[in-house]
Amino acid sequence: MNEGSQDPSAAGRRAAFQLGRRAILPFLPGAFAWGMISGVAMVKGGLAVPWAVAMSLLVYAGSAQLAALPLIVAGAPLWVIVATGLITNLRFVIYSAALRPYFATHSLRRRMALGYFMTDFTFVRFMRSAQEGTMPADHRDSWFAGVCSSNWITWQVSAITGIIGASYVPTEWGLEFTGTLALVALVGPSLNARPALLGAVIAAVVALLAHALPFKLGLFCGALAGIVAATLTDFMQARDAPAMEDA
Amino acid sequence: MSDPVAGLGLAFVIVGLALSTLLTRTSFLVVGSRLRLSHRAEVALRYAPVCTLSAIIVPDVLFHGGAALDLSLFNPRLIGVIGAALWLCASRNIVGCLASGMAAYSLARLYL
Repeated sequence: MNEGSQDPSAAGRRAAFQLGRRAILPFLPGAFAWGMISGVAMVKGGLAVPWAVAMSLLVYAGSAQLAALPLIVAGAPLWVIVATGLITNLRFVIYSAALRPYFATHSLRRRMALGYFMTDFTFVRFMRSAQEGTMPADHRDSWFAGVCSSNWITWQVSAITGIIGASYVPTEWGLEFTGTLALVALVGPSLNARPALLGAVIAAVVALLAHALPFKLGLFCGALAGIVAATLTDFMQARDAPAMEDA
Repeated sequence: MSDPVAGLGLAFVIVGLALSTLLTRTSFLVVGSRLRLSHRAEVALRYAPVCTLSAIIVPDVLFHGGAALDLSLFNPRLIGVIGAALWLCASRNIVGCLASGMAAYSLARLYL
């Protein structure tokens, strides 16, 4: 690696990284609470402490870990556990498709790293700023790396705190609800137009109706239905307003 | 309570689950610039965040811990979300939104 201190693009990358860290900062209490309660759940669910730490560090997917936990404890076959992880993580396939155009020009290694460290929080935070144009357009990858590194550190510190202090963390306070509230704060400002509103309503209704499905498939079905509804509304609006560009 | 689960078998489980994280999160990113998406698909993906989060949040709030849908105003999570949303409408301060949501939620759990 070069020194890079005189290189203006290196300075731009560093600045974008710091802006990204700042952009995710207010949401981190939510990530912390949810990470800590997940850590507690791993240990109370029956995992030994060092293995729970290893799982948190490597798997880094709270909902998949919690879905796999009862299967692990029951001694289910490996392929069943991994399949459960894959299906629970299906929404990330949509996320990676949405991120693709922003990072298409970067090296494969960079794209894989940015993808691996993406979560619900960091993805939604990125998309909002990308659409509002409130991040340095030349250094979106550095901005996202800033967001993801802060989120990763927060999650790991909180999860390991929960794993080690499982018997001391008060689970009856409902701290994990802070995570849900952080998601509300992330999504709220995007509900400002009819397609997004309709998509959110349809996604919620379908997710509620399909709630009994295993592997969080209800979530995935709801998200897909909402996206279809929002897109159709968007296109109908565009047709009614012929001033819009594009053929 | 039985002994905690540990052992070499768990190492394979962790690697397998880590791969499930990596594969799903990098799936389309690996394809990179070789893929051309239609305009319609690009519009659709713009709505991925709001729709996915709605599908995560709403069941989490309305099925709070139980199997039954709770649409009543005695649902503390619903009160919490309303508190957070009101704060968010009045100010863009995120930490205040989390704090007011947790306060409303905790008060509802204590007194309802």
